[in-house]
Amino acid sequence: MAVPQFVGKADLVKQGAEGRVYRAQFLGKPTIVKERFRKRYRHPVLDEKLTHRRTVQEVRSILRCRRAGISAPVVYFVDYTSHCIFMEEIAGSSTVRDHIVSTQQANSCKELELQQLAERIGRILAKMHDEDVIHGDLTTSNMLLRCSSQDTESDLVLIDFGLSYISSLPEDKGVDLYVLEKAFLSSHPNTNVLFEKLLQSYTKSSKKSPAVIKKLDEVRLRGRKRSMVG
Amino acid sequence: MHLTRVLELYPDTRVTQILYKDVKNAAELRRKAMEGNINGALVNPTMLVGPFQVLVAANKAVHLQTTGKMKTKTLNAEIIFNLSPTNNISEAFKRFGISDGDHSILVVVVHKSDEVQFVSDISAMVDGQQLPVDDVSSLSDFNKIKKLFKITPQEEKCGPLLDAVVCRMAIKDVL
Repeated sequence: MAVPQFVGKADLVKQGAEGRVYRAQFLGKPTIVKERFRKRYRHPVLDEKLTHRRTVQEVRSILRCRRAGISAPVVYFVDYTSHCIFMEEIAGSSTVRDHIVSTQQANSCKELELQQLAERIGRILAKMHDEDVIHGDLTTSNMLLRCSSQDTESDLVLIDFGLSYISSLPEDKGVDLYVLEKAFLSSHPNTNVLFEKLLQSYTKSSKKSPAVIKKLDEVRLRGRKRSMVG
Repeated sequence: MHLTRVLELYPDTRVTQILYKDVKNAAELRRKAMEGNINGALVNPTMLVGPFQVLVAANKAVHLQTTGKMKTKTLNAEIIFNLSPTNNISEAFKRFGISDGDHSILVVVVHKSDEVQFVSDISAMVDGQQLPVDDVSSLSDFNKIKKLFKITPQEEKCGPLLDAVVCRMAIKDVL
């Protein structure tokens, strides 16, 4: 089979629990190949169904986001037999996570820049949720900053839509934001103010935000070591 | 002038594109293609944004042919079908295949060896002027493309038209 052979010779960039990410040249373009490999610990029928569904959801959500004007990698080719997605490699980019970490480490007064970044993230997430796209795995590692050649602002690109789905429920959007909050505050200590800015920007930009923020507050009260007195 | 590229997924397979303008015998060429006398797909270049789009369509066609999952009956038909944003085969042919009154044609040939003799064979059949394939965007009808692919104004700000078109081509079977 062609795709596994191709992938076998490509550069492995990362391996996670879900799949492997490779970098290669495809039809003359720098390409990322995302392979969701077989999980032998799962029942084969379930594994096939789940893997196929995740692949399909990922590409559908990418297109839906792009249609709304949210930057996401262009999909070039999907092999549904080996569950590989061939997509655009966002050249010269860094994750938002790395950007925040390096900015904080540099210790220069770049607070304003980070706040502006947080506001941009809030705006983009508001747009995404207004399209009823739930990302499902919002972390700062799943957001890329594409460096542009001129002095223009770098492009914010969302990636990794494997756990995404379509939903209009404020509950699902609230949970999406909660996942980001947890990931944000654990990866980047002392950034509560920054995340607040993100939420404020989200509230201002989204037409359906009041219900979502209300649900977010409710979700925060759930879970371990939390009082269920409401 | 013509453009040949090896498919990375199928290293023994190559895709060659040849572009012609001021074509006077489109009807005859179309007939010849249907009779099986031209071993290539005849594409309407006004609906194309660039050569990369054709490569994406050809790659998918070869892949589906190899895995026995083509939606159409021949490889050349599959290439034309893959260029379309919808899953309707006859609509794809109407919009991306050539019509008798067309004045420009892009010929797409999928072949195995490095041999490019067929390029001059095909050029001999075409009553028109050959253009460098990279010039295909000079023939494009961008408004028609945007309308057919339903490109939103927000999406245009997101990235180039080629990206929007290729993305839809790649995902259409699960839309």
